[in-house]
Amino acid sequence: MNPESRPLLALDGVCVAYRHHEVVHDVSLDVASGEVVALIGPSGAGKSSLLRAINFLEPPSKGRVVLEGAEVGGSRRSLDALRRDVGMVFQSFNLFPHLTALQNVMLAPVHTLGVSKEQARERAMRQLTHVGLAEHAHVKPGKCSGGQQQRIAIARALAMEPKVMLFDEPTSALDPELGAEVLATMRSLAAEGMTMVVVTHEMHFAEDVADRVVFMADGRIVEQNAAGKLMRDPQHPRTQRFLNAVRNR
Amino acid sequence: MSMLSEWQDYLPDFLDGLGVTLELTAVSLLVGLPLGLALALAMAAPRRAVRWPAILLVEVGRGAPALVVLYFVYYGLPQLSLTWSSFVCAAIALGFTTAAYTADIFRAGINSIPVGHREACQALGLSHSKELRLVVLPQAIRVVIPPLVGFCILLYQGTSLAFAVSVPELLSRAYSQASITYQFTATLTLAGLVYGAISLAAVALMRARWPRRAPTVAGAALPPERPDRTNPSWETTSERRER
Repeated sequence: MNPESRPLLALDGVCVAYRHHEVVHDVSLDVASGEVVALIGPSGAGKSSLLRAINFLEPPSKGRVVLEGAEVGGSRRSLDALRRDVGMVFQSFNLFPHLTALQNVMLAPVHTLGVSKEQARERAMRQLTHVGLAEHAHVKPGKCSGGQQQRIAIARALAMEPKVMLFDEPTSALDPELGAEVLATMRSLAAEGMTMVVVTHEMHFAEDVADRVVFMADGRIVEQNAAGKLMRDPQHPRTQRFLNAVRNR
Repeated sequence: MSMLSEWQDYLPDFLDGLGVTLELTAVSLLVGLPLGLALALAMAAPRRAVRWPAILLVEVGRGAPALVVLYFVYYGLPQLSLTWSSFVCAAIALGFTTAAYTADIFRAGINSIPVGHREACQALGLSHSKELRLVVLPQAIRVVIPPLVGFCILLYQGTSLAFAVSVPELLSRAYSQASITYQFTATLTLAGLVYGAISLAAVALMRARWPRRAPTVAGAALPPERPDRTNPSWETTSERRER
């Protein structure tokens, strides 16, 4: 297989279980380089669990995660490699409140990648500028708005120069106005060709920005298609019901 | 002779005793706090072989009265040919008790860090030790300072137990003065005032620094202020475990 056609990220028969309760059943999904995939579906559908399985925050109970052709295993080394290459943005930002924005962004390049402090600072400033927050570099997260905090969190993930970015409902904790600034940042990232997997309830974002939309319910992929097609012309009755409910809200 | 003039006579000796009391408090803390932190980290270790001995030590240290521990070190260990001066014995015993109690304070502080912060560390590829050193402990230390100061005040008062193994600390000075003059009320009142002055000064300093979280003399602190409880990122590790 030539590298062009090989997916950047492949999930193969992934199951996720908490204790003995399985919440994601046998999901397979390929993500091509530069592709933006939106995961949508009702709460409890297993979207976030699936996303967390990709970077082993919830190690899959069955199945394989393959990044650039290499299977991610349980070994420390393969896990370290995975987490260098996969950035994650959380619903609740999870910034470190005792550090400034700049220190938050610099932390992992210095302590995970071993980049020198000067280089890391430069890299961090570049990413903060990227998300439009250079002037907040020396401010602690507690003094920033939710939207700014989430953009700092995006800069923190980008500073690792990941190959894939995972977003776990990045705007759910924000009001629509602050959410919009985060979505704008994500939009420009997508335009720059970043590979992204986004769990979201923002249907406009899914339709406008994602290349492909995957609809999940009850721990399985029900339907997936090009974004415009799935959003306008869903085939499966479960998808139709969900999208109707969202539209009529 | 009025009580005040008696106090004048006692005071120089009592201040010497206070010096020993403060020294014993400091040495017990120097022994106990690092050990307490180590025990707290061991109690949170993934490996059972590390976790269980730490839990056992902490439970023994919290379960046994400090005086029993003190007698054990002073009278018990010499039977195993381990003999130290009374001051060293008191420092070991109180240091052990300090470790056991502060381990629980440190553990609570570590558990109060939102689980999302630890997940963010993992997602950024930070090792477990860097996660602790760079993210968890710097935040946990801020949380535990008020209860730790509360414990230090209790320990300071608890050093009076060392009287039982004849360390020449404050209470033993009061008792020996009283055994000469039979003025138990005057000597013990003065000793109480000296203990109280230092304790209250420490609490006053705390209140100036952390108005809401300062301990009372009894060592209890109000619950720390928490930000927006509805934000899931503030779910703590212990809350996540319950869920």
